[in-house]
Amino acid sequence: MRMWNVLKTRIRSLLLRKRAEMELDEELRVHIEREIERKVKSGASTEDARCEAEREFGGLERLKEECRDARGWQLLDALMQDARYGLRVLLRAPAFLFAVVLMLGIGIGANTAIFSVLNTVLIRPLPYPGSDALVGVFNRFVIQGQVFEDAALSPGMYAACKDSASVFENFGVWTSGAATVTGMGDPEQLMSVTATEGVLPALGVPAYIGRWFSNEDDTAGSPPTVILTYGYWQRKFGGDRGVLGRTIVIDFVPHQIIGVTPRDLQFVNLFPDIFLPQRFPKSSLRPDVFSYNGIARLKPGVTIAQANQDLARVWKAWGETEAVRKMLEMLAVEPNLRPLKKDVTGDVGSVLRVLMGALGLVLLLVCANVANLVLVRAQSRQQEFAIRAALGAGWERIARELMVESLILGILGGALGWVLAYFGLRVLVTRGPATLPRLAEISTDGTALAFALACSLGSSLLFGLAAVLRSGIPNRIESARGATQGAKQLRAQNALVVTQVAVAFVLLVASGLIIRSFLAVRAVTPGFTHPEWIQTVRISIPEALTPDPERVIGTQHEILSKLSAIPGVTSAGFASGLPLESENRNGIVVAVEGKTSADQMPPNRAFKNISPGLLAAQGTRLVAGRNFTWDDVLRQRLVALVSENMARESWGDPANALGKRIRMGRDGPWIEVLGVAENVYADGLTQPAPPTVYFRVGLVQPDRPGRSAGVRRSVTFAIRSERAGTEVFLREIATAIHAVNASLPLAKVRTLNDVYRQSLARTSFALILLGIAGAMALTLAIVGVYGVLAYAVAQRRREVSIRLALGAEPRVVKWFFVRKGLMLNCIGGILGLALAGALSRSISSLLFGIKPLDPLTYIASGVLIVTAAMAASYVPARKAASVDPMETLRSE
Amino acid sequence: MSDDTDLLSGTLDLLILQTIALEPMHGWAVAQRIQVISRDLLKVQQGSLYPALHRLENQGWIQSEWGASDNKRRAKYYSLTRAGKKQLAKETLKWQRLSSGVNLVLGQRVLVRS
Repeated sequence: MRMWNVLKTRIRSLLLRKRAEMELDEELRVHIEREIERKVKSGASTEDARCEAEREFGGLERLKEECRDARGWQLLDALMQDARYGLRVLLRAPAFLFAVVLMLGIGIGANTAIFSVLNTVLIRPLPYPGSDALVGVFNRFVIQGQVFEDAALSPGMYAACKDSASVFENFGVWTSGAATVTGMGDPEQLMSVTATEGVLPALGVPAYIGRWFSNEDDTAGSPPTVILTYGYWQRKFGGDRGVLGRTIVIDFVPHQIIGVTPRDLQFVNLFPDIFLPQRFPKSSLRPDVFSYNGIARLKPGVTIAQANQDLARVWKAWGETEAVRKMLEMLAVEPNLRPLKKDVTGDVGSVLRVLMGALGLVLLLVCANVANLVLVRAQSRQQEFAIRAALGAGWERIARELMVESLILGILGGALGWVLAYFGLRVLVTRGPATLPRLAEISTDGTALAFALACSLGSSLLFGLAAVLRSGIPNRIESARGATQGAKQLRAQNALVVTQVAVAFVLLVASGLIIRSFLAVRAVTPGFTHPEWIQTVRISIPEALTPDPERVIGTQHEILSKLSAIPGVTSAGFASGLPLESENRNGIVVAVEGKTSADQMPPNRAFKNISPGLLAAQGTRLVAGRNFTWDDVLRQRLVALVSENMARESWGDPANALGKRIRMGRDGPWIEVLGVAENVYADGLTQPAPPTVYFRVGLVQPDRPGRSAGVRRSVTFAIRSERAGTEVFLREIATAIHAVNASLPLAKVRTLNDVYRQSLARTSFALILLGIAGAMALTLAIVGVYGVLAYAVAQRRREVSIRLALGAEPRVVKWFFVRKGLMLNCIGGILGLALAGALSRSISSLLFGIKPLDPLTYIASGVLIVTAAMAASYVPARKAASVDPMETLRSE
Repeated sequence: MSDDTDLLSGTLDLLILQTIALEPMHGWAVAQRIQVISRDLLKVQQGSLYPALHRLENQGWIQSEWGASDNKRRAKYYSLTRAGKKQLAKETLKWQRLSSGVNLVLGQRVLVRS
């Protein structure tokens, strides 16, 4: 009750200040009137009574002031007053205001922008309801000591899990791929996701119109169905709701449209065009093809650990049959669920954290610089403070004023930073690296606003406190008249110089390490040459179009001949996948004759099916032996090529590999090694080149009796020509392909250089931002060091003048200041070295080819920062020595 | 205002609370009432009365309300809140202790001189 009354009075006095003032006036007026009445009654004249009453009251204004004080209006009043005063004072120093607000704006803006990215990508929940319960279902495998943390599921595992797992609300498996749509204008290749019925419901959102897949859609033999994504529906059908029930021809088979996804539905880290039902044959579910990504929604309250336990139980029950049990044992299969968010964001977190740290350091530098400016200003206002203190201003009042001024600076800087961050992010979203996950979701939000506010308040507090400590506290407020600066009084500024040099050193080392990594990546021989000359195009020949596998390879061969005949083409070939293409990262286990014993799991190898001529088109050198020929393909010879590192690992030397035999799995037919190709960095330039087996394209006889022969239906053509990427060339390619079959769509039409550049995108993104941070740090440090020393010189001008007048050598005076600068810079450099060494480990995940403690980078950064800082100290020192004593002393 | 009627700091609050406890009244009346009851021994300075009233209100011990006075004019009436009543009891006890203590120390001398 009392609290309420107090609150009521306070709020009233805050909000209704005018009214409260009027009430106070009236209350006092009533009092005076009463008093006059009383005096008149006791015989005084009205005039006398009024005089008397007012005199008794004392100063009316002072009384009112006391009443206001009693009500606690004073603080707000004073703050408003301080703010108005502070703004006026700041506006009188526009250069100072501009410099500080600009520096803070850039510092806070950069931090807010990168924080928004970090917040969106790593912290904000996925855009699905209850997204915490969403998990990716994976297994941990160990093959010959090599650990695979995220092995996908096999059809057999899917069936086992669907039947007996008890921890999932929804569960399903999916794969991504491409599908061809025909019958609606030009044939078009779409990005598709093939999913079982449990996948889409797991996301927790209903279909926009229509329905998700049902058990029937998943059953082989029932009419094929398709779900369109909102974007494709809008693009192709103009958002027509009557589309449900209609059919579209996908891979030359009519599919009935049963639903449309909600707008902007992101599927894990993909934005597909269509969803197709995953249909496993009922009879034989392969236990050992681990190609299906599992996704599940956990039942409420179930933890990932519990789910892993339950799944381990399911696998155990599934391993009833001898073959499956043996496989599980050999692979040491263990369930390894993880939050779905991890699948979406990948490993981008390390880059973002490093950038956040770097920009945080830049903000610290900005604060140090601003603090220095504020200190200098506070110093030059010493006299003003002294006068005000003499007139009776309490030290807390002056301190408060300094704080309020700092707050104004911080808030103005923060506002500018917010604007910069807002526009910076819009540029990032439209131009940012496509490899940055959740790019489209990135925006400034309430959290980012709070972050920007915290940044500006934190910075204000930092440099405000510096100003207060410097000149606001009681014994510091003294007459500035005649006082020269002792070394002690400059301690704050010296500390700032040391901090700036140290922090700038750290940032220079970080950007230096990234630059060196980038150069190292660029220097990698990727196993292919001139990617800008390699034109790629992916072509799929669906079963519905050409059922006969033998004719598929015939068509592919024909296309290749036509492409090779295009003028300017030096070589051409095709493969199941080209280097750096994200598809086909799955490996297979490959046994080496005489090296792998029958009861152990052979090591996992990357593999590709390649045509004759592909290695030449790619620019991959043959180290030993010979290449595939069309004779090998057409006669279905059991031959293979291997990569150099695999040859060395298995047989010691590439030449030894020729004629040796390998086989797929533990029971496939033996295949002869024809040749050895140089290593190809197929997983990205920063990843080691995977040991690879190259099989030939064309017919592959079934590994079990009763199955039909297989063929690669989707292949990427690589066409080497200096004309690659030009429009005319692309038209000629399309003509050549459509001359063979007019209904084949062309997908992934690009040069390998585009892919190459994309694989460098993350490193270059980090490079650009860290480079900017490093450059900013260097500039800020130079400005800061110069500012402090120039100020120190200016402060000691009188002292220097006296010395010079008494006969000191200008050289000695100069040396005095240079020495001071040198000492501060060296302390800063040593601190920075220690700091950089300690922090460098956090950047190691971004580095390639160099160690975090790379001596060259450290030495170069050290030389750069110390040289820059020395130059910044030399200029003021020279100025000090060139002071004209007479002039200075006279003007004092 | 002579020295011997000047109020000990803190006692003014007590007097105001006690006076208002009888019935709600406005500032002038509070001053008059204190003067009358104390038979002119205590005279409240206007200069301290109003700040004290506002302070007490700010502390939540009294509350104010505009009302019509005896001669139909508006005036701001102060009344005691529940917290104010408790505070009055506390202050009264404190004052009694203080004054009896002071009296004991001063002893006979005061009696003789008065």
